Amino acid sequence: MLWRKSWLETRTRFLIGLFLLLLLAAGNVLEYPRVSALIPAARSLDTGGGALGGLIRKAVELQHDYRGFIWWQWFRQNLTQMWTLFAVLLGTGGLLSQTSGGAASFTLSMPVSRTRVIGIRAATAVAELLALALVPSLLLPLLSPAVGQSYAVADALVHGACVFAVVLAIGEQIVADGSRYGIFGAMTAEVYFRTGGLPWPGLFVSAAASAAMLYGAAINIAETDF
Amino acid sequence: MADPRTIETLDLRKSFGTTEALRGLDLDVPAGSIFGFLGRNGAGKTTTIKILLGMTRPTAGRARVFGLPADAPESSVEIRRRTGFVSEDKELYEYMTVDEIVRFTAAFYPKWHRDLEQRYLRAFELPLAGRIKALSRGARTKLALLLALCRGAELLVLDEPTSGLDPAVTEEVLQALVAHVASQETTVFFSSHQIAEVDQIADRVAIVDRGRAVVAGELEELRERYRRIQLVFDGGAPQPAFRAPGVERMRREGRVLTVLSSAGADRIIDEARALNPVSVDVVPVTLKEIFLETVSAED
Repeated sequence: MLWRKSWLETRTRFLIGLFLLLLLAAGNVLEYPRVSALIPAARSLDTGGGALGGLIRKAVELQHDYRGFIWWQWFRQNLTQMWTLFAVLLGTGGLLSQTSGGAASFTLSMPVSRTRVIGIRAATAVAELLALALVPSLLLPLLSPAVGQSYAVADALVHGACVFAVVLAIGEQIVADGSRYGIFGAMTAEVYFRTGGLPWPGLFVSAAASAAMLYGAAINIAETDF
Repeated sequence: MADPRTIETLDLRKSFGTTEALRGLDLDVPAGSIFGFLGRNGAGKTTTIKILLGMTRPTAGRARVFGLPADAPESSVEIRRRTGFVSEDKELYEYMTVDEIVRFTAAFYPKWHRDLEQRYLRAFELPLAGRIKALSRGARTKLALLLALCRGAELLVLDEPTSGLDPAVTEEVLQALVAHVASQETTVFFSSHQIAEVDQIADRVAIVDRGRAVVAGELEELRERYRRIQLVFDGGAPQPAFRAPGVERMRREGRVLTVLSSAGADRIIDEARALNPVSVDVVPVTLKEIFLETVSAED
């Protein structure tokens, strides 16, 4: 029943997130013909030196084929950013936030431990985040034939799973971007895109950070006076 | 042998920063009693209840329910398994319907009384499909009471169960509570600052003030023990130092000396006769008067 309670509490945010991400994924795929038509012209642009110029050149270079376009537009930008936003939104609404509304007293009067209450709440959020990472990504191989392209289901699954595996967006604050253990690098799975290998160090660090934070939250909740 | 006390606290203390909510609270709630926990707002009633249910941890002292320590996480779960609770604010999950929250709560209690559930749903006229956020305060209180009563609990802990209700709903809720206790073997521990309702249904009371129990005992016994003795003198009333036990308060107003006793009137009257009063009157004291005298005496 705690599972059902967690679902009822998060379903609106989850379904809005799923709808938006599905819409964005479809939009990315359907946008491809227009973008691909612009690539030759973009290649001849003088982007100058500096970081911005380098980024533009990198974007143009990567998007010259469909797989690169999907990785750059979807996994590197839209999914990562939107998913991070919904990770924060789905992570809110636990016991502490119920205190102001008073319903925490009712929850805490039930014969269950606080650890179980927050464990189930966290597990529900994780399951929903997995769905938010995978379901819209799986729409890509389904819709790609509509623009005369194909996209591997395995690519969609691996990239989606990498976004999901980096459970806490806050990990970005802990490990600097661009480092060997970069969370952002792990989320976008650039290593997989380029070489087919998985970003294990980043995944490991982010998983460890997530576990530590969850443990800290459990300790905090256990010692809180309601 | 089973502990005859359902609730026991000993020198229970709780501080929030520099504020002392409980300052050595001693309570004994016998099994099977309807225990009224009286006190002004901020006296420490809700804090006590939260400690008993494991929602708040005591700073010092001991709190046991069913003989189990209330501050140990595992025994606290067992305490809650055997306890029905209605919180002061009656906040429930607003996004659920009445039916959903009944199913949700029932799932945690193997002894859930389906027959009582149906009876109270009818008696309280609660709409099964109605969302909790749309319920009136009265209906929400009735629902909270239903959720507590149907658990098959050995102990009901009710924090200001009738606060904010109109007199008709208050009466309905109290009647339901009395009828329930009459048919089930349940101990009731309910906090209130409504003296009339405690007087109406409780058989034992404790009056708590500033985190300490200032009066505790069986209600009938308190009514027997507490007496107001009014002594009228020819001239100005004297200010005697009575040796008799139980002198709670003395007040002099002109020719009249009023003594509040918690140990009957006989011994005080014996002593007072030596002062040559022109008249002696002894009147019983109501719970309201006991409450007002003991609580204001602390000021």
